[in-house]
Amino acid sequence: MILEHVFAAAGELANIKTLILMMIGVTAGLLAGAIPGFTIAMAIVLTLPFTFGMDAVQGLATMIAVFVGGLSGGLMSGILTGIPGTPSSVATTFDGFPMARNGQPGLALGIGVWSSFCGGVLSAILLMTLAPQLARIGLEFHPWDYFALVAFALTITASLAGKHLVKGLIAGALGLLVTTIGEDDINGVGRFNFGSDALLQGFDFLPVLIGLFAFSQLMHDVRNRDTARKSLTETRTVAVRIEHRKAIREILKRWTNVIRSMLIGVFTGILPGAGGSVANILAYDQAKKASKHPEKFGTGIADGIVAPETSNNATEGGALMTMMALGIPGDIVTAIMLGALLIHDVIPSPSFISDEPLLAYSIFLAFFLATFMMIGLQSFTLRIFVLVTKVRMYMLAAVILAYSAIGVFALNNIEFDLWTLFWFGILGYAMRTLGFPLAPMIIGVVLGNIAELNLARAFAITTDLSPFVTRPWSLFFITLGLFSMFFPKYQQERGKRKWTLVYPSLLAAALSVPMFMHGGIVRPVLAGILLVIAAHLLWKHYRNGWRLEGIDTPSVSITET
Amino acid sequence: MSRINRDVIVAVILLLICGVFFTVSFGIREPDYGTLAPATWPRVILAYLTLLTLIYLAQSLRIPAGESKSKGGFRAWLASYRNPLWCYALFLAFLITLPVLGILIGGVLFVFCTLTVLGGMEGRKLLLHAAVAVIAVGVMWTIFTYALGVILPQGMIFTTL
Repeated sequence: MILEHVFAAAGELANIKTLILMMIGVTAGLLAGAIPGFTIAMAIVLTLPFTFGMDAVQGLATMIAVFVGGLSGGLMSGILTGIPGTPSSVATTFDGFPMARNGQPGLALGIGVWSSFCGGVLSAILLMTLAPQLARIGLEFHPWDYFALVAFALTITASLAGKHLVKGLIAGALGLLVTTIGEDDINGVGRFNFGSDALLQGFDFLPVLIGLFAFSQLMHDVRNRDTARKSLTETRTVAVRIEHRKAIREILKRWTNVIRSMLIGVFTGILPGAGGSVANILAYDQAKKASKHPEKFGTGIADGIVAPETSNNATEGGALMTMMALGIPGDIVTAIMLGALLIHDVIPSPSFISDEPLLAYSIFLAFFLATFMMIGLQSFTLRIFVLVTKVRMYMLAAVILAYSAIGVFALNNIEFDLWTLFWFGILGYAMRTLGFPLAPMIIGVVLGNIAELNLARAFAITTDLSPFVTRPWSLFFITLGLFSMFFPKYQQERGKRKWTLVYPSLLAAALSVPMFMHGGIVRPVLAGILLVIAAHLLWKHYRNGWRLEGIDTPSVSITET
Repeated sequence: MSRINRDVIVAVILLLICGVFFTVSFGIREPDYGTLAPATWPRVILAYLTLLTLIYLAQSLRIPAGESKSKGGFRAWLASYRNPLWCYALFLAFLITLPVLGILIGGVLFVFCTLTVLGGMEGRKLLLHAAVAVIAVGVMWTIFTYALGVILPQGMIFTTL
């Protein structure tokens, strides 16, 4: 059955037009990823208008191609100039740039490229095998569970959004509030339109997103007059040959690092809201801790490139898994893809893979195929990258702004969308300037209607609120949500305050409760394992006399992918 | 007064927004059907947002005024945000003139003006900016109009021509 779908999807993708579009997408993504200040999310947003005229498979394949390219493009500037092209490749510069300066730029690039490839391919395999299983779990979800999942998605995004948890939560709530403007989807009653007919139709998701994200980012990039007039990278960039064979040999020697980093990437991707910007730092840190020579990290060693590059490409497999199996975006990029699916009247949900197998498996395969294309196109793009770095930021910003406006208008052919772009462009910039993270707001805008719809469904069944805590999945997500609210504090005070010693044990023990409530065999066994882990951690600290040790942990926070 | 800082002002504005939305939510029509009234969900969000904003306000009041206050007054602020403010103003002008100029002419003018404001207006640069504006917007307009079949606003000038 699965093979049948895979072959059907392969047939759908294997036409010249789709393949050419994907190749253009990968090249554009590689370049976008390589340009500092130009995020992958912005590249995906700008690709979106071009996909309106395409069918769903072609459009999504192109966007996935841009994304895969973008994740790998960041390493080019990171390694050659020391400036990460995207936040997903920040950790790559720690060892990639020193290795390049030590006279091995070709090898550094090769390791980066092939690690990206490994991360992408392995997570694509996991995506294809695990997404249908996750969707099966998703079928168990009732409205209360969905509502709790959305609440968790918002809290985890806010908690990962930096040290200002409250600002993150406010941003998420503002995102939810935006979705209530206009006619409501359930009763068709106008809300908060302030007498305006234009507001009655509500804000389209994409102009909001492009305004909040792309417009505000461009303004941020050109704020400083001198920086705006400079070339994208002032460092002189020289084209180099990628040393493929030597790089593959180096990576094969480090297969444990590859697997570990890939798993970190996939797990981070599955978490709603978290993406490559978190995964690359986490994987680098874990590789350093697992290494026999942690002191060599930062001097230009292969392990320091393998870990971040494998993990950041693997995140997308995880993020796509959550989006396709549960209809919850794993990160900002998948939030945009969710918007793209909605344009084509496809609504991801647990039954998406079984209802739309052709589209679902086409997405799986496109991800796989784009990863192979990335390898082939990396050398070619490297030459263009050298030219692109000579462009001045203000030129790029002005042209992209005009392009965003045309793209936004093309969405619904109404001028109101351009005004939406403008106002949300101002709001996004104000939020950036005032230290409010944008990721929770985006997630709020995407999930607002889903939350309300499920709340209405829950109330249609019963007005009793107890199912929120008596249903295992709902309780599971509420528990995770509550603990995620304390995560920023835990990160700051880990090893310095005594309560941080019991936080992981408490989390494991608390999660075991809903797992026990599920019944059956597997889940109670998992709950038992969680309890054992909790007890073991407590015992360890008890034996150490509850001693605090200054633990060096990386600060994990979301920045735009 | 010494406790007033940027965060306090933002929190107060947020509280005012919550207040306005709360008030307006009482004017939302209540239909006879459905179990979840149209005003319930927005009120839940507003209550949550108000609570968070109060926490934010309390946290902000603990910050000494100097910590988040910008230095140099309004002029310095204006100078430091010169580029974004120009861009927003030009984009606003582009939107207002759109029915008259259309996307092609308006877009070219917008890109040219933005490039000139951001990049400077020396002689050679002006030529470069004009070329970039015409080529970039022209190519985009052609792709959207002819390849993607999108009918972009032509504007009164184009229509009368």
